[in-house]
Amino acid sequence: MADDKDVLRDVWFGRIPTSFTLNQDEVTEREAEPYYLLLPRVSYLTLVTDKVKKHFLKVMRAEDVEEMWFEYEGTPLKWHYPIGVLFDLHASNTVLPWSITVHFKNFPDSDLLHCPSSSVVEAHFMSSIKEADALKHKSQVVNDMQKKDHKQLWMGLQNDKFDQFWAMNRKLMEYPTEEGGFRYIPFRIYQTMSDRPFIQRLFRPVSPEGNVHTLGDLMKEMDPAALPNDGEPKRYQVVIHGIEPLLETPLQWLSEHLSHPDNFLHICVIPTPTD
Amino acid sequence: QSMSLSVTSAQTAAWRQQIFEQLTERTKREMDNFKHYEQAIEQSVWVKKGTM
Repeated sequence: MADDKDVLRDVWFGRIPTSFTLNQDEVTEREAEPYYLLLPRVSYLTLVTDKVKKHFLKVMRAEDVEEMWFEYEGTPLKWHYPIGVLFDLHASNTVLPWSITVHFKNFPDSDLLHCPSSSVVEAHFMSSIKEADALKHKSQVVNDMQKKDHKQLWMGLQNDKFDQFWAMNRKLMEYPTEEGGFRYIPFRIYQTMSDRPFIQRLFRPVSPEGNVHTLGDLMKEMDPAALPNDGEPKRYQVVIHGIEPLLETPLQWLSEHLSHPDNFLHICVIPTPTD
Repeated sequence: QSMSLSVTSAQTAAWRQQIFEQLTERTKREMDNFKHYEQAIEQSVWVKKGTM
């Protein structure tokens, strides 16, 4: 019988096999071969693609190189969303490896944030953790941590060190037993078919009557159209880390075990494949 | 406690079991055929010597 701790490892060590191909309009001195990598689902594109950049720069002249950005089938990929979220949202149910196009010019300013260095990723990551802790513990845990503790969370993610990260992150997952969970669950619900980037509102893990809230309760409240009507075929999949948890899964358990390192539960609503 | 009463042990087993099984399937689907791919983050161990 598997253990809940194994879930944390499975989540952390999830990988997406990816092939990077240079955009055909880029000017190169010779043909650029694709580059293949296993991308950590819980990390960020701009944090784990130094090798990709180095590979393509070998065939390009420095004057033809601007900020690197990524695209999948015409959609610019937002580096500030976790890699697994980008894959689940845009490329679920497609054939692997995930085929990403690499660009070095025409940065789409209206779609993407600039990311000149890993310190920008660090700032984004730490601000997400702080926001999550504001929801979970009124910022008490993150404010009680020292600067080196914050650094430990970041370095754990950056260097793919599970034990280093979780030695600190477990403090962010604690809550008073009598309350049955966090104050609010940090979550974001993404949909490709919506103009809104994501849904994020206040939602508690336990009802005022003391009933445990489930994933289904959250979806019913935030995005009822994502749930199937009785007797009708399922139109949408509710996906977290590439899997579809049952709607009766307690939300507090999901928050503790299936949150990303930024401490948010990232939920993707995608159309059910028709084939 | 009223909270725990609303989720019976049978239901608990079902949702938890479902997650374990799906994560195993995910590993098969996404990783088994691609073990020869390079990792984006190297897992090499750096030993920092405190000689300064």
